[in-house]
Amino acid sequence: MSTLEIKDLYAHVETKEGIKPILKGVNLTVNSDETHAIMGPNGSGKSTLAYTLAGHPKYVVDGGEVLLDGQDILKMTPDERAKAGLFLAMQYPVEVPGVSMTNFLRTAKTEIDGKAPSIRTWARELSEAMKRLKMDPKFATRSVNEGFSGGEKKRAEVLQLELLKPKFAILDETDSGLDVDALRIVSEGVNRAKEANKFGILMVTHYTRILKYIKPDIVHVFADGHFVKTGGPELADELEENGYDQYLPEGADSESALA
Amino acid sequence: MTEAKEITIPTADPNDPYANPAAMPSSADRNPRSFDVDAFPMPARKQDDWRYTPIERIDEFFTVFTPSGETRIEVGMIDGSPLPSGVKLTQTKLGEGLSGTVSKPSDRAAAVEWNSGATATVIELSGEIKQPVLVKVHGAGMDLDAFHLVIAAADNAHADVVVEHDGDARLAEGVEITTGRHSQVSTTFVQEWGAGSKHVGNHRIHVGEGASLRHCVVTLGGDVVRIRMDQDFGGEQGDLNMLGIYFVDPGEHIEHRTMVVHNQPDCKSRVVYKGALDGKGAHSTWVGNALIEPTAPGTDSYELNRNLVLTPGAIADSEPNLEIENGNIIGAGHASSVGRFNDEELFYLESRGVSETEARKLVVRGFFNELVEEIGIPAICEHLMDVIDKRLARGESDAMAQVLEEQ
Repeated sequence: MSTLEIKDLYAHVETKEGIKPILKGVNLTVNSDETHAIMGPNGSGKSTLAYTLAGHPKYVVDGGEVLLDGQDILKMTPDERAKAGLFLAMQYPVEVPGVSMTNFLRTAKTEIDGKAPSIRTWARELSEAMKRLKMDPKFATRSVNEGFSGGEKKRAEVLQLELLKPKFAILDETDSGLDVDALRIVSEGVNRAKEANKFGILMVTHYTRILKYIKPDIVHVFADGHFVKTGGPELADELEENGYDQYLPEGADSESALA
Repeated sequence: MTEAKEITIPTADPNDPYANPAAMPSSADRNPRSFDVDAFPMPARKQDDWRYTPIERIDEFFTVFTPSGETRIEVGMIDGSPLPSGVKLTQTKLGEGLSGTVSKPSDRAAAVEWNSGATATVIELSGEIKQPVLVKVHGAGMDLDAFHLVIAAADNAHADVVVEHDGDARLAEGVEITTGRHSQVSTTFVQEWGAGSKHVGNHRIHVGEGASLRHCVVTLGGDVVRIRMDQDFGGEQGDLNMLGIYFVDPGEHIEHRTMVVHNQPDCKSRVVYKGALDGKGAHSTWVGNALIEPTAPGTDSYELNRNLVLTPGAIADSEPNLEIENGNIIGAGHASSVGRFNDEELFYLESRGVSETEARKLVVRGFFNELVEEIGIPAICEHLMDVIDKRLARGESDAMAQVLEEQ
C-alpha cells in the first residue's frame, strides 16, 4: 500500500512575458489501487501538474510538497522519482533518434530495478507485452518513438507502464489522438497493468470517453491551477453534460496554450 | 563501351574574370600537389589549410625525419581466418609498384610522410571477399614513426577493409586507396590512440568508373589527430560515401578534412561527419570541400557535419565549402551544425529512471548509431558500435558497463 500526497503545491513557468504562475495550491491524496480522473478545461494547468510531479525542468516549484510514502519527491531528480515509483505517460512522447526501443526499455528496466533483467525472461516479457498491445514486433528494433504514429506512441507508453511496474502512474491525455480501437487497446493495457501491479492512477483528460474503459473511483475538476471540485464517477457525466464553464474564473481565457 | 564525348572547357579572360566564373581559378589550381617537401611552405595558422590546427603541437611532422620503425602492423581477416586468395599482401619500397600512384601529397605533412618512410604495405583485393580484411596498426611508443598503406581493389572487386589504430604513437600516415571499375569497396579507419598520441594522416583516394566506395573514419582518441582526405573519380557513375565519427575529450584536437573532387560526369558523393565533444579544450575541426569541375555535369553531391557539444568549454569548428564550376548538376548541398543536448529527449529518458549521465550516453550512442547503421555491413557496424560502446562505458560501474556493451 502506497500513498502519493500532494500538499499545497505551487509552480510557475518562465515565459517571454515573465513569470507565469500555473499551479496555485494543489492538494490531493492518491492511494494504491485508486484511479483518479483529473478533468478540466484547456489551460487550467492539468498537464503542468503532471510534468511538475515528474520533475520537468521547465516547471519551477514555488512551494508545497509531494510525498510518495512520506518521501518528498520534489527534492529528487526525474530519474530518482521514477525509481521511487512514479511513472508519467506523456501526451507527446519524445523521439530519441538512434536509440532502439529494445535498448531503451532494457536500460530503463535495469535502472528502475537496480539490476539488469535476466535476458531470457525479459525477452519473453517484452514480446508478450507487445503482443497484448497489438504492437508490431518490429517496433522493438526501431528508434524510440521515431516514426511512430500517435496511436503507436501511446501504446509504447503503456508498454513501458506494464514493464516498469510503478507505484503511481500519471496518464497525461493518454486518450488524445486515439481512434476507437486504439483507445480500447490502450485502456485495456492500463487496466491489465493495474490489475497486475495495483498502482494508483492519476488520469488527466478532457473527455469522458476514456472513462468508459478506465473506470475512475474519484473524479476531480481542475481549474485555474487547483482542484475546485471532487466527486464520484457521476461528476464526469455531469461535466459531459454541462461543460467546464461554471468552473472558470470570470474572464478567464480557457484556450490558453499553457496546459 | 561509352563513346568519348568532346566537351569544351571555357577559358578565363584575365581582364574580366566574372564573364566566365567557371574558368576562375579553383582551390585545385591554387594548391600544389607534389612529392617534394619544399613545394609546400612551412604550415602557419594564417594559411587556410592550417587555420584551425594547433600546428605548434605537431611541428615535428613538418620536417623529414628518420622513422622509429616501432609501429607494429598485422594484416588478417576480421574473423581470424587466413587471408583468402583474393587478398594479396606485399611490402614494397616507397615509390615502387603501386605506391605513389594515387595522386600526389597535398600538404607538407603528407610530403614529409612520403619522404621519411621507406616501405609501403600494399593490399591488393580482387573478386568477392566475404569477410572484412583487418589491418592492425599498433603504436609501440612515442618515437616518431611513418606508415604508408596502399589499398588497391581490382575491377569488379567486392571487399571491405578495416584499419585499426591503437597504442601510443606519434605517427605520420599515408594511405592510398584506388578502386577498379565497378568495384564495391568499403574502407574503415578507426583511431583509438592512447592519451598523448599524435597522428597526422593523409588519404589519397581514387574511385573507379561505376565503382562505389564507402570510406569511414572513426576517431575516438589521441592528443592530436589530423587527417586530410583528397579524392577524385576515374570515370562516370562513381559513387563515394564518406562517413566520419569522432569523440573528442578535454584538451584533444581532432581534425578531419574531406576534399571531394568531382572531375567526371554523373558521379555521386555523400560526406556525413558527426562528432561529440566533451569537456574543456576539446576541439574538433571538420572542413569539407566539394569541388565540382567543369568536366563533371550530372554531379550529385552533399556534405553534412553535426556536432554535439556534451559539456561547456568545447569548441567545434565546422566549415563546409562548395566550389561549383558546372551549372549542369543534380545537386550540391551542404549542412553544418553545432548543438547541445535536446532537453526534452533527456527528460523523457530520465523520467524512465535513466540517470542524466546515462541518458546523455544513450543520446550520444543514438547520435552515432544512426550513422553507423548507414554502413550496412553487419560485421563492420557491430565492430564500430562495440568500439563506441567501450568508449561510452569508460568509468562506468561493471554492471552498467555490461549493459551498455551488450547493446
